[in-house]
Amino acid sequence: MSDSFSRREFVATVGSIGAVWLLADASERSEAMAHAAHQVRATQPSLTVLTREQAIEVEAFASRIIPTDDSPGAREAGVVYFIDRGLSTWAQGQRPMFMEGLTKLSRDVDARFRGQSKLSALTPQQQDEVLKSIEQTPFFGTMRFATLAGMFSLPTHGGNKDFIGWKLIGQVEAMEFKAPFGWYDQPANRRTLLGGDA
Amino acid sequence: MTLQGAQGAQGRRYNTNEAVDFVVVGSGAAGGSVARELTRLGHSVVLIEQGKFYSRADFKHDEFGVIINNDYCNTPPSHIQTWRKTPNDKAEQRHFLLYATAVGGSSMHYAANYWRFRPVDFDEFSRYGAVEGAAVADWPITYDELEPYYSAVEWAIGVSGQGGLDPNEGRRSRAYPLPPLDLTGPGVLLEVAAKKLGIRAFPAPMAIASRPYKGREACHNCGFCWYFPCEWGAKSGTNFTMVPEAIASGRCELRTECKVRTIETDDRGRVTGVVYFDRDKREVRQQARAVFLCANGAETPRLLFMSKSSRFPDGLANSSGMVGKHLMFNGNTAGGALFEHEVNAYKGAPVTRIVLDTYDLHDKGHWGGGGFDFRYPFPPLLSALNVPPDGPQWGSAFKQSLKHVHTHATQCWGHTSQLPVATNAVDLDPEAKDSWGLPAIRVTYREHDADLRLYKYMFDRGIELLKAAGATKTWGGPPGDDPGLGAHLLGTCRMGNDPRSSVVNKSHRAHDVPNLFMVDGSSFVTSGRGQPTLTIQALAFRAADLASQMAKRGELG
Repeated sequence: MSDSFSRREFVATVGSIGAVWLLADASERSEAMAHAAHQVRATQPSLTVLTREQAIEVEAFASRIIPTDDSPGAREAGVVYFIDRGLSTWAQGQRPMFMEGLTKLSRDVDARFRGQSKLSALTPQQQDEVLKSIEQTPFFGTMRFATLAGMFSLPTHGGNKDFIGWKLIGQVEAMEFKAPFGWYDQPANRRTLLGGDA
Repeated sequence: MTLQGAQGAQGRRYNTNEAVDFVVVGSGAAGGSVARELTRLGHSVVLIEQGKFYSRADFKHDEFGVIINNDYCNTPPSHIQTWRKTPNDKAEQRHFLLYATAVGGSSMHYAANYWRFRPVDFDEFSRYGAVEGAAVADWPITYDELEPYYSAVEWAIGVSGQGGLDPNEGRRSRAYPLPPLDLTGPGVLLEVAAKKLGIRAFPAPMAIASRPYKGREACHNCGFCWYFPCEWGAKSGTNFTMVPEAIASGRCELRTECKVRTIETDDRGRVTGVVYFDRDKREVRQQARAVFLCANGAETPRLLFMSKSSRFPDGLANSSGMVGKHLMFNGNTAGGALFEHEVNAYKGAPVTRIVLDTYDLHDKGHWGGGGFDFRYPFPPLLSALNVPPDGPQWGSAFKQSLKHVHTHATQCWGHTSQLPVATNAVDLDPEAKDSWGLPAIRVTYREHDADLRLYKYMFDRGIELLKAAGATKTWGGPPGDDPGLGAHLLGTCRMGNDPRSSVVNKSHRAHDVPNLFMVDGSSFVTSGRGQPTLTIQALAFRAADLASQMAKRGELG
């Protein structure tokens, strides 16, 4: 490859927190990934690792990272299925750490809202309060990274249902594009910007 | 056989017990080019590649697989490496050197920036002198000696560009075979920045076909380009160009998923062939009259170390002690920026314009220099992970920012020289092993202080360019002491005229072994300014040409 920067930047961005979830599990990844990629979701998604209760908590968490507002969010993209798929394949080795994180989350909820143990049972505002209090923890980093990965990876990996994530950010799903691609490279705009040099 | 038909084919078969003219180890930028030239010149070649031969149909816009999981790269558990900062530290396991393991090597997924080196890159030591703590030296060849091979490579694979605009570029004997790629938003923004600052932006030379070329498709501007193999076959990596041509010659056998473990020598100290593990991990011995190591700047020195013997106790061809030393990567800087209107950098080629007025920064007190481009080659996930760091990182406001950033962001990337430092090196880890049971690569690497100052200068200039282009916001910082990873693997078997201070001579022949050649990034004496692949291929064409002449004169026996 011709440039090393951006992957480095990427590792710097997520390497310290979220990517630990991915990168620490290299030993099982390649084969499992190949397997997972071929399991294209043809029917209704189902859970293989997370219990229904755990899935509801994971989804509540992911929905605060990318909420549902005037446009679909992590919930509609099926991020929880991406995470479940990951825990059964390429992130299998991270399963204990992940489950421990969920247990700890329930204690964090209780610490803030006495008598309550489920993030999903709180109002969005209360959920944000809990997440803010654990924002610096590795589990938060893992959940944030996993949510983004589930939102923006190809649907064959289990999330990004109907390319909801791509549509959200304006990524058009296509195998080819024709110029002009944006505002600046439209010939008239380029001429305005560059004058005689265009 | 058509070139497309050769895709996936293994070519003709050779008996392992009969010596072929050449075994070529590695089918990447260098090895693919060497195999193409040697077969064109009439020689029999066995081309050995540790990875698979993928076809266009294998390639998807699968960011999670390609970038996050590094599907095509040298990842654990098969590939193990260790890293330490200085020779006094104990190395720890770390995936630090990055390269693709497939036919085409890293040329299958490169961004395809195809800058030629300039005359100054070959004699910078003579022009500007030494740097404390670095082993700068002149190359044993000049730009003019390499120039015909630059042109030959550009025409062999189809490079898109426009020469003759930049008065500071080296002499060109031929124009580019293809016109520049479609201009993108980042390209226009760099033009705007350059105009504002009174400098010039030039069309970027890119190894991506802008028009159909030799039966290959032109670029379709799909945007999944940097770090992705090309589903259109428009990217001119050796998997789509040199290797199919070598196979189509009828004189090359490609053996994939074969891992070379040693180069064998006889009691005269001549190479007799190579021993490798095939895809079932059975040991196979292939006889050859001569061997080309083109395994990259990490694997070529590793193979020399793994081929040590009583005659070559410090590793094959290592009487100088220089094997593995002077590891260089090129420096990379990047500043992020947002713009008022839609840039939509996710469409089109990664780079379409470059600025090179910083190529030689000696008058600014730096050793070396660099160049710039504007790009934002990030598919959706990387884009989401690269929102401005001072803004919201989750929640509704973050979601709003995601919507804006992907279509409105651009970065300025700086590509710089990097000094050769003797202690920055590749050798064998004393303990760690890879999945073939072979000693793991151990990397020792830290930045030279002069380079850190250069990166800072280049980063600051990059931000100036982004602001001059009209950025509404900029962010980022210069690289620190740990580069994170190394992708350009350079300098570890340097060329030179003196056998005491270099590994190969000016013909890429090992000083110590007359029928052993090394050509790839390891041959580099200095690093250039960041885009090494065209130079690797020009060196490969030249080395194959010279080796062929020697073979025909009977000098390799």
